Amino acid sequence: MAGQVIIALDGLAFGLLLYCVAAGLSLSLGVAGVFQLGHGAFYLAGTCLAWWLAEEGSWRGFSAALVVGAAAGAVAGGGLGDVLRHLREHLDQALATIGFGLILVDILTASYGAQPRAVEPPPGLGGSIGVLGRSYPTYRLIVIAVAAVLATVLYLVIERSRPGILVRAVAADPDYVAALGVQPRRVQVVVMAAGGALTVSAGVLGAPILGPSPGLDSTMLTLSLIVVVAGGLDSIRGALFAALAVGQIQTTAAVAWPSAAPFLLFAVLIAGLTWRTRRHANTVRVT
Amino acid sequence: MIISRRSQLGTAAAVAVLLALPLAGCSGSSLDSDEPGTSNDGLVIGVVVPKSGPYQPIGQDMLKGWTTYLDEHGGKLGGHPVRVVEADEGDGGPTARAAADQLITAEHVDAIVGVANADAVTNIAGPATSAHVPFIGTGGRPSTLQDLTYTWHTSFASTDYGKAAGPYVRTAVDGPVYVIGPDYQGGKDQIGGFVSAFTAAGGKLANPGGQPTYTPWPGDGNFGPWLAKIKESGAKAVYAFYAGAPAVSFVKQYAQFGVGVPVYAPAFLTEGSALTAQGAAATGITTIATYDPTLDSPGNAAWVEAYKAKHGGAAPTVYVETMYAAGAVLDKAVAAAGTRVTSETINTAIGKVGDVTSPRGTWKLSSTTHTPVQRWCVRRVQAAGAGVANTVITQNLATVGG
Repeated sequence: MAGQVIIALDGLAFGLLLYCVAAGLSLSLGVAGVFQLGHGAFYLAGTCLAWWLAEEGSWRGFSAALVVGAAAGAVAGGGLGDVLRHLREHLDQALATIGFGLILVDILTASYGAQPRAVEPPPGLGGSIGVLGRSYPTYRLIVIAVAAVLATVLYLVIERSRPGILVRAVAADPDYVAALGVQPRRVQVVVMAAGGALTVSAGVLGAPILGPSPGLDSTMLTLSLIVVVAGGLDSIRGALFAALAVGQIQTTAAVAWPSAAPFLLFAVLIAGLTWRTRRHANTVRVT
Repeated sequence: MIISRRSQLGTAAAVAVLLALPLAGCSGSSLDSDEPGTSNDGLVIGVVVPKSGPYQPIGQDMLKGWTTYLDEHGGKLGGHPVRVVEADEGDGGPTARAAADQLITAEHVDAIVGVANADAVTNIAGPATSAHVPFIGTGGRPSTLQDLTYTWHTSFASTDYGKAAGPYVRTAVDGPVYVIGPDYQGGKDQIGGFVSAFTAAGGKLANPGGQPTYTPWPGDGNFGPWLAKIKESGAKAVYAFYAGAPAVSFVKQYAQFGVGVPVYAPAFLTEGSALTAQGAAATGITTIATYDPTLDSPGNAAWVEAYKAKHGGAAPTVYVETMYAAGAVLDKAVAAAGTRVTSETINTAIGKVGDVTSPRGTWKLSSTTHTPVQRWCVRRVQAAGAGVANTVITQNLATVGG
């Protein structure tokens, strides 16, 4: 029983890490309306930064990686949002960002040598501590705490603050917001910058669990897309629930029903889509 | 606005499904080609290695092994200048199949060498066999391959590791062993070979239900839930087959979770760059191997020194050695193919190469399985200088293969 709880706890850690990663995509895709398929490359960039600055696990290196990562992610995300403002079609955006992502991944791969790399957690967090009489890695508990704080802050900012109302208004009806005298494009660039900063920082945070390795970018992009689509594009709260569900599928379900688990990912997608579609249908009928 | 929202949702969902298909193990099929491999511009060799996916680092080593052989022999095999065409096997699925089709139909190669992932072997061997092009594999040979006429391996059959390791682990460990590996054919052969040899020697599995555990392939890199399972099982040791990037994740997380029982594994778990990344977390892991830079075979020490000097001090790995050996086999076969060198005559000659000498020592290709009959050693990861290194603790464990 305690073993099952530990596995569920690990699912929580993985799900929340996934939420941190997917939140950036949720912002750019759902709020800024930009098809950011270079998302996986941003995560990889974060893990590379952590490897360069904090491979042996130092607080100074880790903090530096977080600061540099957030800044670089903001510049890259905002820049991408600015460049892409002329591309209104989703397919064009997808192609442009896939291309950008491929180039970025190639540069990163060349720089870390395409070898799998491991990053040590900061000092004091590398070991494990007792949970229900079982030992569990300390760093994963830290990830749970950090992600919980992040989820709360994002929820408060986007769903409870005035800037958040503006951002959601831009997502819902940019023309109306423009009529109020706010440039929606400017808001979207800021949101893209926040999304980029968030994703690269999530890469730094996740590096001691999933360090830079070939293929990491596409795994993270896929899981993030599933989370964001299942959670509803513009709902940061929905993304949290979807990430928690995917976290449990990749752990509890993967151990209990190894052959069925990958298909459960699709089940989450279908469930999310069906629910969203029905809600949209209702919205249309009511208005 | 709701309409465009929904179209956006639709596009995003479509992309997510397309990307997630490999996670579910679904792969497409490609068209069969019956065009025979006919060569018209000298000796053309197709080299298939992973240039993407989790085994990308292995692919880099493989190319180094191949180039080392050609460089040592003036760019010639059997006296003929060689043109090399490289292709990507990806994670073993459709990419590998496309590589084979491309090499055979467009490049008209005389032979194909390479492949790390045992799943890719099936995708290459099929088209190669129908085109009568010899394929010299350098990674795991899956047990599922039916027609072996044109397929050879300079490495091992995937089940060989378990055959060598089973009796050894049985005597080294006092108690049940938890057996775990990735869920693809090569992983199943590696694990299956071990389980049958280990249980035949009287060993018991610690896995619930007595069946080995398979983790998703390629997977997401998180081994947390399985490590929790291992701790629950009361196992006295773990036998794990992982290579490349997953090997690093497994060993690192194994240490972070404090599982605390000894790990036994096929060589790949602590091979080359994987061991470098694992560092101290790998200390004490015991592996079964066909090759190691410190093996006492004739000429190995000098070869290792020359290789290190050329590659910034990095020692050759089993991936380097099997590709090097593929060069040695082809060299002999092309030379023996006579005046008319075609893919057919090369294939016939490979069947008659007899003793092959490569850095691991002298070995034979079995005439029935077309895989090496070779000696196996045992290594343990120990502190060495600033880092850790594999150290051979038993030079002659057994002769297995064929």
